[in-house]
Amino acid sequence: MTDAASTESFRDEVASAELIVTCGPGGVGKTTTAAALGVAAARAGRRVVVVTVDPARRLADALGLEEGAAADAPHRVTGIPGIGKGSAGGELWALMLDAASTFDRLVHEQTANPKQAAAILENPVYRAISGSLAGAQEYMAIERLHQLYTSGEWDLVIVDTPPSRHAIDLLEAPDRLIGFLGHPVYRALTVGQRAFAKVTNAAASMFLWAVRRLAGPQIVEDTVEFFRSLANIEPGLRSRAKEVSVLLRSDAASFVVVSSPRAEAIGEAEHLIGALRDGSFPFGGVVVNLIHPMPEQLTAADRAALDGIDDGPLAEQLAWHDELTELASAEREEIAGLADLAEDVVVVELPLLAVDVHDVEGLVGLADRLVGGN
Amino acid sequence: MAAPDWLTSTRVAVVAGKGGVGSSTVAAAYALAAAREGADVLFVAVDGRPGMGPLLGGRELDSSDRILRRIKGAGQVRGRTIPADQAFGDYLELKGVGGMLRRAASAASLPMIAAATPGLEHLLVLGKIKELERERAADLIIVDAPPAGHAAPFLRSATGLSDVVQSGPVREQSVEVDAMLRDPARCRAMIVTLPEETPVTEALELGEELRSDIGMALLPAVVNSCWPDRPGLAKTPAMAARSQKITLSASAKSALASSTDFGRERLVRQREQIGRLADGIGVPLLTLPRLATPRLTLHQLGELADALVEPTIGATS
Repeated sequence: MTDAASTESFRDEVASAELIVTCGPGGVGKTTTAAALGVAAARAGRRVVVVTVDPARRLADALGLEEGAAADAPHRVTGIPGIGKGSAGGELWALMLDAASTFDRLVHEQTANPKQAAAILENPVYRAISGSLAGAQEYMAIERLHQLYTSGEWDLVIVDTPPSRHAIDLLEAPDRLIGFLGHPVYRALTVGQRAFAKVTNAAASMFLWAVRRLAGPQIVEDTVEFFRSLANIEPGLRSRAKEVSVLLRSDAASFVVVSSPRAEAIGEAEHLIGALRDGSFPFGGVVVNLIHPMPEQLTAADRAALDGIDDGPLAEQLAWHDELTELASAEREEIAGLADLAEDVVVVELPLLAVDVHDVEGLVGLADRLVGGN
Repeated sequence: MAAPDWLTSTRVAVVAGKGGVGSSTVAAAYALAAAREGADVLFVAVDGRPGMGPLLGGRELDSSDRILRRIKGAGQVRGRTIPADQAFGDYLELKGVGGMLRRAASAASLPMIAAATPGLEHLLVLGKIKELERERAADLIIVDAPPAGHAAPFLRSATGLSDVVQSGPVREQSVEVDAMLRDPARCRAMIVTLPEETPVTEALELGEELRSDIGMALLPAVVNSCWPDRPGLAKTPAMAARSQKITLSASAKSALASSTDFGRERLVRQREQIGRLADGIGVPLLTLPRLATPRLTLHQLGELADALVEPTIGATS
């Protein structure tokens, strides 16, 4: 049986990149790939932190991540052969992104004093927005990346991204925040510290009136209060969003697109590659995961000998052989199309494994495949 | 074959699954199966992903309700999307709010209002679906829910908003949507997954979330992309040949073994995972075959619709 084989590898990427962002459609092993790249980099002697978003439970367990706020701080991943005592000195750490606490951290960093921070953190609108606002998760993944990157504690920060059909959302998140802060209604609401009654801008008072009619007076006060308190940290938010936007486009960063060979996933991956190129993001490579094996082909003579067997176990085996061949061929066509689009970057093909990767041993095996080890 | 009871047991069926499990395809197959039984079906794509209209035999979906396919002597499939801003406009109009508020709303623009009331966009879309259900816009409305991790937040928007919004029409809307989601005669959810470990775990979690947190009733769960069960793969090619009194060359044995070994192991794993789902999900299961071609055709959608009306496995309903 011929394995999905790759001659290319991410060896250089894990040895030199300072930021790796894995992105792609859901259900293709993106989080596992991010973790395995982390293992590979740690084994190459680097101090690495992997930020995961919504990992499958068994993978989270393998990385030592538990539910709850504690998982938002980096945890050391133990039990990886080839790092630690007496070897290259690399380290792997992992954390689970918690959008709400990342937002809280951002607020604390950007406010002048605890009182200002509390005014924002305790606002009901903020509490509802920080965890669940559409796009908040995407933005916070990037924000967390920036926090870790600028801390200077890490040689490499790897960020897994929220599964998204519109992966472009992630790339646009910082710019969207800048857009939001520049919205005329937002500006009118937050200019100075005028009382609500004195909001004179027509669009803004219409906005408040609309919100009050639709959602009641309480939310209007909360909203105005929220926007006002946000105004204190707005310059910070704005410059942060710009910094992040620049960082993501710098040479330090590398975007790795993960896909499966299914047509639907490949279509999304192609779309994403286009978006990376259009947005001038550094595109580091592609991982095509979960590839079915191509069976050894029957010779013409063998096929002739098997001709006419139309029931019994042998017929089932023959039918299955043909079906798997058809599927494997179709997948290889899809992959070839994707590889054409990505001919100037690394493309690594990974076979469908017998069991899901959910322990350190599995991650090490995957890491070796990604960097071309054994 | 008689159509299964569940097929038209509710007026709104929300089809949901994590990304990559094929829930949109299953939603389309469900629409076709119900139309074949005579139902007038409205297929609603929430995030408007491309290709669904043509898959159902019509034009690309947009915000107007169009017939995609008529089934001779039976029902039909219509399709549309529901963009949040349009749902918002319709909602304002429905509430009889006049030009002043509508202008205010457009001046502020939906994104600003949505930022002020998180979950509002989802609620507006669910609210529109609720209106369609209430006016009996179709015998069955099939909702292709947002993918990936977003199905539960989408459905939870109705309950989630009540923390922030204490009064006003948005509050009313969330109460009404919540009532629809909790009424099995009006609305149920269909969970879609794959016969693999992680997707099954996630399907069990989603099922728990929809039932306990949101209070929804579940339709049978669908295990998509199952390999057909081929008992013949349990034997090695040499054993199979011997049992059929056929002599195989060494090269034929080797070629067949290369696919048989892989297939045998996948089938064992598939049975394990289907068993795990059947034990935990609390509703009967439907299995859909894996199709060998990566791009689905109209004909294959028909095959999936056929498979969907086969008897379920497990009867823990």
